[in-house]
Amino acid sequence: MDRRSLIAGFGLAIGTAPLACGGGDPSIEDADGGGSDSGNDDEEGEEDEEDDGSGEGEDDDGTDSGADSSAGDDSEDTSDPELGECDEIAPTSQVSRLTNIQYDRTVRDLLGVTSLTASNGSLPSTLLATDQGGGLTDLGWSAYQSVAGMIAIQVMEDPALRSNFLKCDPADDDCLEDTIVEFGHRAFRRPLTESEIARFSELVSKGEEITESGAPDEIARALLYTFLISPSFLQRGETSEDGVLSGAENYYVLSSHEVASRLSYMLWGTMPDEDLFEAAAEGELETPDQILAQARRMLEDERAREMVASFHRDYLFMKAGGRWDTTAKDADLYPTFSAEQVPWLASETVRMFDYITFEQEGSFRDFLLTDVAFVNQATAPLYDLDPSDFGEDLEMVRVEDRPGFLTRAGFLSAYSYATSTSPILRGAYITKEIIGVDVPAPPPGIDQSLPEGAEDLETIREQVTAQTSVGDCKSCHDPYINPPGFALENFNAVGAWQTHEAFSGAEINPVADVTVVAGEDPVTVSTPTELMELIAGSPTAMEHYARRWISYAYQRQSPLDECATARIAETMMTNEGYTVLDLISDLTQTESFRVRAVEGDQ
Amino acid sequence: MKRRIFLRGAGGVAVAAPFLGSLGAKTAKAAVAAPTRLVVFFTHNGCLTNRWFPQKEDGPLSASDLEGTYLSVLSDVVDRLLIPRGFRSMNQYATVQTIDPHDQAMGSKLTCATISTERSRYATAESLDHVIARAINPNGASPLVLGVGASSTSIKEVLSFSGPEEPFPANVNPQTVYTQLTGILTSGGGGPPMGEADFRLKLGQSAIDIVREDLDSLRRLKMSSADKERLQQWLDLLRDTENGMMDPELAAACSTGTAMTLGATAEAVAEASPAGPITPGCLVNCIGPAQGEADNNLATSFTKGGDMMMNLMALSMICDVNRMLMLVYPGYVKFNWDGINHTHEHHGLSHRTGDASVGGACGVEGVLDKIAEIDTWYTSKYAKLVHLLESISEGETSLLDNTATMWLPELSDGNSHNTNNLPIVIAGSAGGYLKQSAIVNVEQAMIGVGNSESSCQNGGQIGFNTGSNGGNVPINKLYVTLMNALGMTADDGGPVREFGVFDSNNADAGITNPGEVAELKA
Repeated sequence: MDRRSLIAGFGLAIGTAPLACGGGDPSIEDADGGGSDSGNDDEEGEEDEEDDGSGEGEDDDGTDSGADSSAGDDSEDTSDPELGECDEIAPTSQVSRLTNIQYDRTVRDLLGVTSLTASNGSLPSTLLATDQGGGLTDLGWSAYQSVAGMIAIQVMEDPALRSNFLKCDPADDDCLEDTIVEFGHRAFRRPLTESEIARFSELVSKGEEITESGAPDEIARALLYTFLISPSFLQRGETSEDGVLSGAENYYVLSSHEVASRLSYMLWGTMPDEDLFEAAAEGELETPDQILAQARRMLEDERAREMVASFHRDYLFMKAGGRWDTTAKDADLYPTFSAEQVPWLASETVRMFDYITFEQEGSFRDFLLTDVAFVNQATAPLYDLDPSDFGEDLEMVRVEDRPGFLTRAGFLSAYSYATSTSPILRGAYITKEIIGVDVPAPPPGIDQSLPEGAEDLETIREQVTAQTSVGDCKSCHDPYINPPGFALENFNAVGAWQTHEAFSGAEINPVADVTVVAGEDPVTVSTPTELMELIAGSPTAMEHYARRWISYAYQRQSPLDECATARIAETMMTNEGYTVLDLISDLTQTESFRVRAVEGDQ
Repeated sequence: MKRRIFLRGAGGVAVAAPFLGSLGAKTAKAAVAAPTRLVVFFTHNGCLTNRWFPQKEDGPLSASDLEGTYLSVLSDVVDRLLIPRGFRSMNQYATVQTIDPHDQAMGSKLTCATISTERSRYATAESLDHVIARAINPNGASPLVLGVGASSTSIKEVLSFSGPEEPFPANVNPQTVYTQLTGILTSGGGGPPMGEADFRLKLGQSAIDIVREDLDSLRRLKMSSADKERLQQWLDLLRDTENGMMDPELAAACSTGTAMTLGATAEAVAEASPAGPITPGCLVNCIGPAQGEADNNLATSFTKGGDMMMNLMALSMICDVNRMLMLVYPGYVKFNWDGINHTHEHHGLSHRTGDASVGGACGVEGVLDKIAEIDTWYTSKYAKLVHLLESISEGETSLLDNTATMWLPELSDGNSHNTNNLPIVIAGSAGGYLKQSAIVNVEQAMIGVGNSESSCQNGGQIGFNTGSNGGNVPINKLYVTLMNALGMTADDGGPVREFGVFDSNNADAGITNPGEVAELKA
C-alpha cells in the first residue's frame, strides 16, 4: 500500500487554475456537533443520522474570499500554500465536542480505561448525556465532571492504569511538572501552550490547599481530573492560525497536530497514536504524500475495520428499529425463516463489505458483483445449504447466481413484507440508497390503497403496477422505483429463488427497464445479474457512494464537498482497479481535509 | 403508610407520615410562592382509544366517569384531572400521511412545524419545551428530557429540538441525572453527610478556573458566531455553578434526606441503571448470548429505570433545578416485564399485523388484548408519576398542583396513525390556572371515542378504519394555554397567543387560529 493517490490533480496545488465546482455555501452552518455527529460510531445506541447528500448549497453566493483570484500568478514567490482544484471549502466547527463513542475510545487509548469500576463496570459514555446538537447543557457538564472524577480515582488506584498517566513518582521533584507537559500533550492532542503549562503548574503548586491531605497522589489525581474536564480535551479544537492561505483570509491550513487528530478521528474514531504524534512533532504531516502514507498505515489497523463497518451500516441504512433489524415473516409461508436469523442477516452483509474492503482489497463494483457470501448454521437454510456443515460463526462460501449483497437473503428479506415480496420497498431502496437517484417523498394526500379489483391480479408485479399507475405516482414509480424491484421478483420474501407466484401459480416476469441516471434512457435487464452489472457500472451509484463517504468521514451534512465527491467518483469510474481502500485514503487528500474555513461572520 | 415530603412554607423539612396537622408548624414568614412547572409524559403508537376515553365528553368529571376506562386508576385524584377533548397535532402531510407518519408525529409534536426533507427528518423548528424552559427555568437552563431504553438520536424517538434540526434526545441513564443532583443536595433532613464527598468539592474553584481560562482563550480566536455561542454557553454553566447560593427554605428541602425519602439513593439508582447494552440499540455485532442480557437491560430500564426517573424528576422540581421536564418512553420495544410476555414489539402490535406493514391480516392472536396490556402498563406509570407528585406537599397544596403533568401521546390510534382526537390528560392545575375535575370538549361537537376495536376482534383483516374523524382543534392552542398557565407572556406583555409554525392542513398559512382555550381555565 505504498501507492500515491490516484485522484488526478489532488493536493494543494500552486498556481493551478481553479475548476468551476464550488464546495458549497459558506453561509450555511456546518451541522457538526449535532445528533448527526456520528462520525466513527458503531455499537449500541447510535442510529443512522445520515444526510442525503443531495448536493444542496452549491450556489455561489459571492463569498469567495478572493481565493479564486489569488490562486494565480502572484503566488510563485510565497511559501504559503494555496488552494488547488477544489477551491471552496465549507466552514466547519472549530470546537466540536467528542461524541460519546469518541469519548469512550479516547479514554481507552489515553488511559486504558474501558469500564468504570465506580459504576458497575459500565462504559464511561453510558453516564454522559446523550449526544445532542447545540451547546453543552448543565446535565452534560455535570456528567463530564462526574465521569472525570470516576476515571481519575480509578486510574490512580489501579497500578496497571496509573502508568498511562504518570511516568514518574508524584512525590519526586518535577514529576507533576513533567506530567503536565507529557500527559497534557496527549490529552489535548497537541503541545500545551506556555500559559496552559503555567495554569496547571499553579494548580499543582496549590495542591496542599485544594486536596484533602495534600499527599502527592491526591494532587496528581486532581491534576488528572482537571485535564479530563478541560475544553481542550473534550472538544476537538482546530484553532491554529499559523497557516493562513495567501489571499484567502478565512482559510487556514491545519497544523500538523490538527491533521493528526483529523486522521485518527476519521479513520479510527479516537485520538492519535504514538506514530501520529511523532509525525506531527517532526512536521511530517504537511504534504499530501506524508498524509497519505499515514492513512495507508492506519488502514491496516483493526480500528479502521470498525470504522469501515460502521460506515457501511450507515450506507446500507441499517439502523435500530429499521427494516434490517425488525424483519419478520409468516411462519406458514416461509418455514426456512426464523427470528434468530435476523441479526445474522445484517452481520453477513456487513461482513461481506469488510471482506471485500480489507481482505480482497476490492472495489465498489465487487460489493454488487461478488460471489462471496457469509453463512452460518442459522442462515444456511436460506441458501439451501446444510446447517450441520456450519458453526455459529459466519463462514465464507461462494454462491452462484447471487451477485453481490442485493441478492443475498439479508437485503431481500428485510425489504419484503411478512407475507410477500415488495418491489416498492426493494426498488425504492435500490434507487435511493444505492443508485442515488433522489426520488422525492410521495406528495401529500396520495391514496396508497390498491385500486378496486387489483387484489385479483395474479402477480405482485401486476398489483404494484396497478397501484402505482394512478395520478402522480406513475412519474416516479414507473421509471425509477418499480423496475429494480421487478427485476428481483425471482427472489421471494426470504430470498429463495422462485419462478412462479406461490399464491397464484402465475409466472414471474423479471424483465424491467431500469434507469440509472435520472433523465437518461432506461436499460432493459432480464435477470438479477444484469441488474447488478448495470448498477455496478452506474456513475450515479459511484458518485452516491463517494458522497456518502465524504459526508460520513468529514462529519458533514450539507454543504458537502461536492468538488471532492466528483473527483473521487470520476476516479472510480475511470479506474477499475480503484479499490475501496484507495478511496478511503484519498479522503485525506482533498483540500477540505487539510484546510479549514471560518465563517464570514466571526 | 407512605412518607410525605413537605416543601416550601413547611420549613422544608422531610417529615414522616402525612399529618396535615404538622402544617401548623409552618414558619411565620410568608411562604415563597412555588414555581409552576410543566411535566410531559410521552408514549408512542397510540392506544385503544375506546378504552382510554370516558364516554362523557364535556362537563364535571367524577370517579364514576372513569369507571371501565384505563384512567380508572386515577379515580382517587379525579379532582386534579383535566381531560381536554378534541385536540389534533397538525402534521406536515395533514389528512393522509405519506412519508413516515411516525417521523412526522414526532418531529411536529412539540414544534408544530414541518420536518426536514433531509434523511434525518428532524424538526425544522425549536420545540415547546425549549421555548418554555428558556422563559421559566432558573438561569434559562435547558429542559430536563429523560427517557428509558436505548439512547437514540433517531427522529423516531426524538421529541425535543433545541433549534431547527438540532435534536435534543432523551437522557436514559438515571445515574447521570442523580449525579447532577447530588452535586447540589444539602445534607439536611436526616440524610447521610455528603460522604467522602469526592475530592472534586475540595478542588472546586481551582479546576473551574482552568476550564474558564481554556474557554476564554478559545473565545479570543477568530471563530464563527455559532462556535462563540457554544463557548459562551459553557462559560454560563460555570457561572451558574458559582452563583449556587440557594434560598434557605429551598436548601432545606433539597437535601439528601429528601432524596432518600424519594428512594433516590446511590444504591437504588445503581440498581435502576442498566450496566450493559440495551436492545434495540444494538444492531449487529451483539448477537448470541448478549441479546438476552440486552433484553434484561431493557426490562430494567423500563421498570426500575423509569420509576427512578420519576423520583429524580420530583427531586429536580424540589431542588428547583428544572421546571420543564419530560419523560419520553420509546416506541419500538417488545414488552417482557411486569407479567407481560409479548412476542411482537409495540409498533407491530399497534398495526395489529405484528410488523410494520399497514393493513393486512390481523397477524397476532389476541392482538387487542396485547395492546391493552401495554396501554394499561403506561397508564399505571402515568398514575405512578401523578401520585408521586401528589404525595409531596408544597406550601398548602401539593407539588402536583403546582404543575401541569400532561400525558401526551404520539398518535391517537396506532394503526391509523391519526393525530386528531388525541387522548390527553393533564393532572394538576399549574398553580390554579387550569380547570380541575373536568372534561372539556374544545371542539364543541360530538367527537366519539374512536374505532380502535372495529377490526381484529377475532382475527380477520385490518384496514384504515380504526381511527376517528372528530377532534381537530389545533394542539397549538393547548400549548398556548399551558404557556400562559406557566406565567409566560407575549412580547407586548399580554398573554401568549401563538405557538408554532402552522396550525392547519396548510403549512404555508402560518397560525390561523391564535389564542388560548378559555374553557380550559379555572
